[in-house]
Amino acid sequence: MHASNPSGPELRLTLKSQLADLTLVWSWVEALAAHHSLSAETQFAIQLCLQEALSNVIRHGYSGQADQPITVECASTSRGEIIFVVEDHAPPFDPLAHPHAGQAPAPASIAELEPGGQGIRLMRGFAHRAAYQRLPNGNRLTLAFTLPH
Amino acid sequence: MQISTDEMPGGITRVALDGRMDIAGAAVVDLKMNLIAGSAKKLLIDLQKVDFLGSMGLRSIVLPARAVNSRGGKVVLFAPNAMVESVLKTSGIDSLLPIHRDLDAAVAALA
Repeated sequence: MHASNPSGPELRLTLKSQLADLTLVWSWVEALAAHHSLSAETQFAIQLCLQEALSNVIRHGYSGQADQPITVECASTSRGEIIFVVEDHAPPFDPLAHPHAGQAPAPASIAELEPGGQGIRLMRGFAHRAAYQRLPNGNRLTLAFTLPH
Repeated sequence: MQISTDEMPGGITRVALDGRMDIAGAAVVDLKMNLIAGSAKKLLIDLQKVDFLGSMGLRSIVLPARAVNSRGGKVVLFAPNAMVESVLKTSGIDSLLPIHRDLDAAVAALA
C-alpha cells in the first residue's frame, strides 16, 4: 500500500493519542470522500466510526496517555469496499469484544441508558464490516464501508 | 458548536444545538445542557442544526434527559436530519426519547 497518492489525498493519516488530534480526521476524510465520490451517508458513517474507534484507542488502548502514535490508512478493495485500518502500539484492546459490542439489547428505560458505551454499537451499526487483530506490538482495527456502484 | 435556549408557550424549554456533536462539541454544550436540565420540566431538544452526532454527543443528550425524567418531566428530540436520526435509532435512544419532525407533534408530546 503506498503511503501517498500523487493524484489524490494522502492515504495514511498519522496522529498522536490526544483528543485534539481527532480534528485532523475530519478534513482528511472529507478529502478522501470527495476523491472517491462517496455519498454523504457513507462519509458520515466513516467520520462516525473513525471518531469512535480513535477515541477508544486514546481513552482505553493508551489509557489516556498522550503523544502515543496512531495511524489510519485508507484503501479500496476488490470487493467494492473502502476500508480504514486503525493501528496503534497500545496494550491489547479489542473494542469489538466489549460487552456493549452491539449484542446487548437496547436499554429498557431511560434510567438504564448508559451515558457512554454506545461507541461500539455505533461502529457495528455504521460500518459494513469491522474486524480486530492483535499485532505483535499493538492493535489493528479494520472498518469497511461499501462503495457506491 | 453552539447552544441556545428559549421558552415556548406551555412551560416548554427549547434547547437548540448547532454544529457538530463530536467529543469537542459535546464538551462545549455539556455544562449548559446540565444547567438547563436542572430546572426544565418540559424539554424540547432541537437538533435541526446538528450535523454530526457521536457517542459523546449522545451522552450530552442522555444525561440531561435522565435528569429531567427523574424529576417527572418530559423530553422530546426535535427534527434531527436523517443521518443524525440514524445514530439515535442505532443507539436505541429513540425508543426512550421520542423523535418528532413536526413541531406541533413535539409540543403535544410534552403536554
